[in-house]
Formats: sequence, C-alpha cells, structure tokens
Amino acid sequence: MRGKSGFDYILLLFTLLLVGTGIVMVYSSSAIMASGKFNDGYFFLKKQILFAVVGILMMIGVARIDHQLYRKIAYLILGMSLLSLIAVLIPGIGVKVGGSTRWLKMGPFSIQPSEFAKLALIIYLASSLANKEKNIKKFSVGILPHLIVTGIMLCLIIKQPDMGTSICIAAIMFTLLFAAGVRLSHLSLILLSAAPIVYFLIANIAYRRERILSFLNPWGDPSDSGFQIIQSFYAFGSGGVFGRGLGEGKQKLFYLPEPHTDFIFSVIGEELGLVGILLILAAFFIFVYRGISTAIRSSDMFSTYLALGITVLIGLQATIHMGVTVGLLPTKGIPLPFISYGGSSLVLNLIGLGILLNISSQIKKG
Amino acid sequence: MIDKSRKWLKFRIFIVFVVFIMMTVAISARAYQLQILKNQRLSQLAERQYRRVISVVPKRGVIYDRNREEMAISIDVDSIYAEPIKISDAYKTAKELSPILKMSEKELAEKLAVKRPFTWVSRRVSPDQSIKVRNLKLSGVDFIKEGRRFYPNRETAGNIIGFAGLDSKGLEGLELQYNDYLKGETTYSIVERDALGRIMSHGLRQREEQTGNDLVLTIDKTIQYIAEKELKEAVDKAKAKSGVIVAMNPKTGEILAIATEPQFNPNIFWKYPSSSWRNRAVTDCFEPGSTFKVFLAAAALEKGIVSQKDTFFCENGSYNVAKRTIHDTHSYGWLSLQDIIKFSSNIGAGKIGEKLGKERLYEYVRKFGFGERTGIDLPGETPGQVRPPNEWSQIAVNTISFGHGVSVSAIQLISGLSAIANKGDLMKPYIVKQIVSPEGKIIKEFSPQVVRRVISEKTARDVTSIMKTTVLQGGTGTKASTDGYEVAGKTGTAQKPNPSSGGYFKDKYIALFMGFTPADDPNVAIVVLIDEPKGLFYGGDVAAPVFKKVAEETLHYMGILPTKIVAQDSPTPPKALSKPKGSDGLRKDADIKEEGTVKSEKFVMPDFTGMSIRQILRMIHDSKIDIRIIGSGRAVEQSLRPGSIVNDGEKCWVKFQQPS
Repeated sequence: MRGKSGFDYILLLFTLLLVGTGIVMVYSSSAIMASGKFNDGYFFLKKQILFAVVGILMMIGVARIDHQLYRKIAYLILGMSLLSLIAVLIPGIGVKVGGSTRWLKMGPFSIQPSEFAKLALIIYLASSLANKEKNIKKFSVGILPHLIVTGIMLCLIIKQPDMGTSICIAAIMFTLLFAAGVRLSHLSLILLSAAPIVYFLIANIAYRRERILSFLNPWGDPSDSGFQIIQSFYAFGSGGVFGRGLGEGKQKLFYLPEPHTDFIFSVIGEELGLVGILLILAAFFIFVYRGISTAIRSSDMFSTYLALGITVLIGLQATIHMGVTVGLLPTKGIPLPFISYGGSSLVLNLIGLGILLNISSQIKKG
Repeated sequence: MIDKSRKWLKFRIFIVFVVFIMMTVAISARAYQLQILKNQRLSQLAERQYRRVISVVPKRGVIYDRNREEMAISIDVDSIYAEPIKISDAYKTAKELSPILKMSEKELAEKLAVKRPFTWVSRRVSPDQSIKVRNLKLSGVDFIKEGRRFYPNRETAGNIIGFAGLDSKGLEGLELQYNDYLKGETTYSIVERDALGRIMSHGLRQREEQTGNDLVLTIDKTIQYIAEKELKEAVDKAKAKSGVIVAMNPKTGEILAIATEPQFNPNIFWKYPSSSWRNRAVTDCFEPGSTFKVFLAAAALEKGIVSQKDTFFCENGSYNVAKRTIHDTHSYGWLSLQDIIKFSSNIGAGKIGEKLGKERLYEYVRKFGFGERTGIDLPGETPGQVRPPNEWSQIAVNTISFGHGVSVSAIQLISGLSAIANKGDLMKPYIVKQIVSPEGKIIKEFSPQVVRRVISEKTARDVTSIMKTTVLQGGTGTKASTDGYEVAGKTGTAQKPNPSSGGYFKDKYIALFMGFTPADDPNVAIVVLIDEPKGLFYGGDVAAPVFKKVAEETLHYMGILPTKIVAQDSPTPPKALSKPKGSDGLRKDADIKEEGTVKSEKFVMPDFTGMSIRQILRMIHDSKIDIRIIGSGRAVEQSLRPGSIVNDGEKCWVKFQQPS
C-alpha cells in the first residue's frame, strides 16, 4: 500500500455507528409488532443482525477488491442486473408482497434486485461517462446511451411497482450526468420531457395522487390518506428535545405504518428527540462529506464518478427518507440507509461502502 | 486543459454537495419546527389519540313502576369493533362477517379497508351473533360491552315510556322527557391504547360504570295492563281507529295508567309507524262533547246561577239559537240540572250556559285547566283549544256548554274531572314519583301539587251526586255502573270536526266516558275514549262498559272492598216526555239492550296459586271467567276451588299477597 492513503476510517466508523444505531432502532420499533405477528419480539432484530454481519463481511471483502475491476465488467454487471429485474416480473419467479413484486426468492432469503440495480447502474454510468469524457457535450454520446439504459431500468422497476427506487435511480443518473459535465440545456430538456410522464404516473394512479394530495394538506383527512404523515408528525412532536427515551415510543405501536422501515426516522425522532435526529443527520453529513471528498481526490474519472455515485445513492436515500418523515416530501416508501430494516438494502449499501473504502484507499497521498 | 476540466468537475461535485447541505439544513429546520415549536400541540394531539376515546354507551337508569317493577332496563350486550390496521384482508374478513351480521359484504369491506385504528362494525349484536363472530377468531375484530335498552313488558306502557335510540338518547316518552337523568355519564374508555385498540402496558385504567339514574313512576303496571287489555278489546270490538284510557288518583294527580291504542313494542320501535309512538292522551286533543256539561254544572252551581231545584225547558228536543238548531237525542220538556246531566240534554246545557254567560263559562273552563298545558312530565303535550269569549260566536256559549267548539286532551279531561272528585282542588298530573341515583339515593321526589282551588267542596259534592245519577237507571251511563262500587261519571259522544269543511263529520264520533269511583271517596278517576267506533257509537254504549271493567278490576286489584249500595230512589226516567226520534237514525230506547246473549260454556277452574296477576289475566283472557282481584303480589287464595267446573261468567275472587 505504498503511496496510498489507506482506508477512510472516519467513513467506516460513522457508517458502522449508523448500522449499530439501526440495529437498536429496528429492535425498538419492531419488537411489539414482531411479538404479535411472529410470536418473537426479536424476529426483526435477529435478522437485521444477520444482515449486518453478512453485509460487513462483504464490505470487508469488497474493500480489498480493486474497484477498477468493475470498470472492466461494468456491462456484465448491468446485464445481470437487468436480467434479475426482468426475472422479478415473471410470475412464479418474483415474489409478490403487498401488491408489489420486488423480491426474488434465494433459498431462505428474498433479495431485491432493484437494490442491486442501483449499484449496477452507478458502475455502468461511472464507466461509460469516464469512457466518453471527451465527447460528453454531444447529446448522442454524452446523454442518449445513458438515458436509454436508465430508461429501460426505470421501466422495469416502475412495473414492480417501486416508485421510491425509480426516483432514486433517475436522480442518480441526473447527478452523474451533471457532474460529468453534460450541457445544462440537454439536462433541462430531459427534465422538461420527463415532466409529463411523471405527471401521468402520479395523476393516473389513485394512491399516488392521494399521497401527493395528502402531502399538500395532510390535515385534510387526518384519519385516512393523511394518516401516515400525521402519525409521523405526532412522533416527532412527542419527541421534543431529548425524546421519550429509547423504547418508550408510542407511535410505533401500530400508529406509524412500517415503523421499522419506511418510518424509522420518526421512531428515532420520538424516542431520541431532536438530539437523536441531529446526530443521525450529522452522521450522514459526515458520510456524504467523506464520500464527496473521496470523489474529488480520486485521480481517475471512473473512481470519481463511482465514488460520487455511491455517495449520492446513500445521501439521496437518506434525504428522501428523512424528508418524507418530516413531511417535506410526499410519502414514499424508502428505507433509511444502514438503519432501516431490510437485508438487500443493508447488504448492498455496505457493499457500496466497501467500494467507497477501496476507492479512498487508492487515493495518492499529498 | 486537463487541469481546467478537473477544476470544473470539482466545482460541479461541490454543487451536488451544496444541494445536499441545503437538504440537510431543511430537514434540521423542519425537525426543529416539529419537535420544538410544535412540540406541545403535537404531543397533545398524540396523547389524545392514545386516550382513544371509544365512547361507550352508558348504562341507562332503570324505569320502575310504582311498585318497583321493572318497565325499562339496560342490559350489557356485545358491540363489535374492528381495528382495520390489524386486518390484512378486509374483503376476506368482510366475507366472513357478512352472513352473521346480515350486513352487505361491500359495506363491511369499505369499513374495514379504511386505515383507521378503530371503527365500529356492528353495535349491540345479539348474543348468538356475538358467539358466532367470536368463533371466527378474526384478527382485528374485537368486542366491547355496551348497554342496550330492553323493555321487558313489551307493549305495556310503551306509549308512556317511549324508547331510547342506539346511542342511548331518549327519543320518545319518558325516555325523552327524563333523558338527562336516565342517560348517565357517557363513558369513554380512557385507557391508553395503541393503534390496534389494545391497552398499552402502561396506564391501564378500567372503564368505570356510570349508570344513569332510575325513575320510579306513579304508573301501576297491573292497572296499566288492565287498562290496555280492556282498551284493546273495546277498540277491536268497535273496530275503532284508536283509543285512550287514562287512570288517575284524583286526590294526588298521580297517573296510574295511560293506555293507548294502537300500541307499539319499544324493543323494536322502528318496525312500527311513527304515528303509533306518541302518547295520544297527552299529544292529541278532541272535542269533549257532553262530558263537558259536568264542568258547566260545576260553574253554574259554584256561581249560584243555578240551584239544584231549578228546571229548564228543553224545548222538546229542538232549540233554535242564532239561526241554528240544537238537538237532543231524546225530546225533553222541563228538566232539573241533575236530569240535564243524567239524560245529557244539550239544549238544557245550552240554556244553563246562556244563564251563566260566556265570561263566567270561559272563566271556569280555564279554571278547570282547559286551554293550557297541565304540565305533566310527558313530551309533546297539547294545550287544547279554548278561544277567549270575545271570539265566540253567538251560539258558542250554548255549544261549549255541551262540549263542542273547544278541544281538550285526555289528560286535561281527567285532571278537570279529578278536581271534582278531589272536592274542588285541581291537582297537577304527574307520572314520575322519584328519581333515584344508582346508589339508591333519592335525587328528586315529586309530591302531589295543588294547581288551584276550582270550586268549593260543597259544589264538588253536589256535582258528584249529580254525576252519580248518570249511571243509574235511565241515565246515559248505566253500562258504567259497577258491581259494588258507586260511580260518579258522565258520558260523552262528540261528532268529530271536519277540518276541511269547518263543520262536523256526519258519521265520525268520539265515544267518551269519564268517572271516578267510589264516588264519595274515590280511589281512581278514569277517562275512556274510543275514537271512531263503527256501529254503536254512543259514549254510554262504547266507552261506559270499558270504564266499568277497568274500574272494577282496578278497585279489586287495589283491594278496595265493594260496598253494598244503598238503594237510592232514583227518579224514574220521565218517560212521558221522552219520545224516540227515529228520523235521523238516532238511538231509540229499544236499541239499548244487552249485547247479544252469551252462550253458556263450562270451564275447569285452574289453580292460580303462586301466579301473578298478569299471568292470571293472560290465562283467562280468552275464557269468560270473571276474575276479581284483591290485593297484589302472588295469588294465595281463590274463591272457586281449582278443578271445579264453573259456568261462563261466574265470578271468582282471587286474593293476592306480596311474597314475604
């Protein structure tokens, strides 16, 4: 490791802190529900610990693999990802839960190909943008291929349907295109042409429209469509400065929908108060800061884009999750990275961290 | 070149970072707003949500009759609620519940699909339904105890008691009038609950019973039952439209019974037309007809306008006043005041009215309580209609004297009647004696209340003795004469006014009898009203026999021993002056005869020992055994031996005693 700066231990430390907090909060928010549903209050805790162990082991492994390898097999990874997304949609292979087909059964576990897809897309975009650096200003070279690949992926994910992931993927593409320096006029054009599609997707599906409406005026019907977000407000409001104390939250007692995944930030707000919220925000801020600095300090474009992509992936999901729970964004089912319960998400995010660590370790000193 | 593009790349990445910083700041600011600025408001709202207020219908107080027999009670029944959040498949759950609860699947599914923490599914279900739903063991479907109103006597006194709706709100009758006392505190289960309605481990609090207060009525269930039984029989027999019997203790104003026809069963009130819910004795008014002559006589005697000895020429049945003609059913010549009442001469009454003058007639009509509400504690009372004398037409002083051109309610009529029975004091009628707290403490007690002295004791006695002649031979009310008790009464037959023409229906009558007994020391005053009887329509034919039955049974039940009536030398009817007026189809004396001949049948006497009055009355309802009741409680003795063969119409005394 001569001439290299070594792993970014600050990044690692804060990420592991988030994972640890996540394990505690998953237990706190799911214990009562789990004991009711599975007769085992530790049900989600046990699985989350298992996911964390698997994820950390994979992270350690990935951190030792030279990330330049992914540049070579970027298309292979993308192809696998698209295949798995198609597989999900095939009846009999994909597992349907609560109206969405998002899972593939793999032995005792179900995995979410869409989580893998995010990472696959980042690798593909980083490699492709790095390759096309010289002609990035040309629409046909700089934008079109990326738009098509991302578009196919989006269609497959919207089909599940999984709006949260779709938005993440679209946002990652835009951020990377922007960072790569495509013309702003081209970007605006894409945004303008996407607007009617987005409107169509929202306005034509009742529950999505309702979510938007309830976001705009949650108190309009507090018992129905505005129910979720108001319950989240109650959680934050009851928390105050220091919170009710760990495990003392009441909102997780079936008032908050999915308190261990989509609304875990609200549970943190209620139990740990504003102090807890700011500490979590700070941890994510440090993660993003270290990720961005890794991106900037990396010498080659691929590393830069890859580091940026992974950082944005984590930061964006965290921001959307937090924004939703505090009512700044319309309700979207997006887990809080490293904290929310969920195997695929946790393992993939830790793999992302492993890649990020590997990039950081290869930055030349000075 | 490379350096420059590298610089721009760094700048663009920096912009991404700035956007992230902005979002972080926005989230922090929002968290600050929610957690610090809105902290109090939001935690209050959240707290309110945990104290999930499932308002549970409180247990209403019991309504007792005067002997503490239950007339309306509350029983705990299961209500089914759902916690839709806990229900994964609303349609499946709805499908299972639908046949048991007899609700449509769609309606149920809609209820269950809404993501609320709590919703009622079906309130106050039958025990059978409850068990069936319990056996389904549906998750998210649970039970809570609620009070349901139950009227154990079904129709009996239904029109007095009224009923309460599902949310324990009194809707009719006493349930409405005394709702505030009966309903009790609305109980909220104020336990802290999670969104599934389960009690959170901390802060468990049990629902406190907040029963309403009990009512003790002046009504006597047995007398009520007697009145209802006889009224129903009479109304059925006369194919009448409706009917009312009111029984009152004339000395106190306590209402002992109000029977109305048609009746309804308050347990299933919604299955009856709303027109059957009201208490006609209080809400409806009618022209009192000849019964009003009693009040005229009282006024005339009290004012000294007429003495007992004065006679009036009754114009041989036809008297022209102000271009109109007043008729009597029979033609009479000179009649004394007593005979005017006894034979019920309209012309005679009109002439007394003329002599009394409209001002004084009006004064006494009002003094007896007509034209204003009696203030009885039942909802919807009508004041009746008595116009002031300056609005009277020329003939009105005559017609009002025999009860046309005024309208009164049965409650007013019995109150006025009771003033005479009560030696001149008008008592305020009332139906609730006591309001008792669940702990047994008397919260409110109602005692007899004199409204005013209407006439002197002497006048009252004189009027009573005149009224006694009504039921004697030749009087219009002979069929009201009881075995062993002296009756003071008056018949009335009023043509019903036709609101569309302003005149009267030719063929629609109200048959009335009012009276009290025993005449000189009355225990009960009774008004019988049969509305639109078919066939026989005179008060003396239709209402008087009902009075007789109710009066006799009531006095027997009260344990008032019959007294041998000292034969009064009643004046023989002035036959010489009487001639039938057959031309307009009116009654001939010959028409007044015993109704048919009863076929003699034999019965085996049952053993009544240990039975209640009601049970016995029910048992013999179809037979013709003449049961006389003495005392109250359970039967201990009977005059005819059980198993003996008895003839139709034979009398049997049954003695009752309260079980010790």
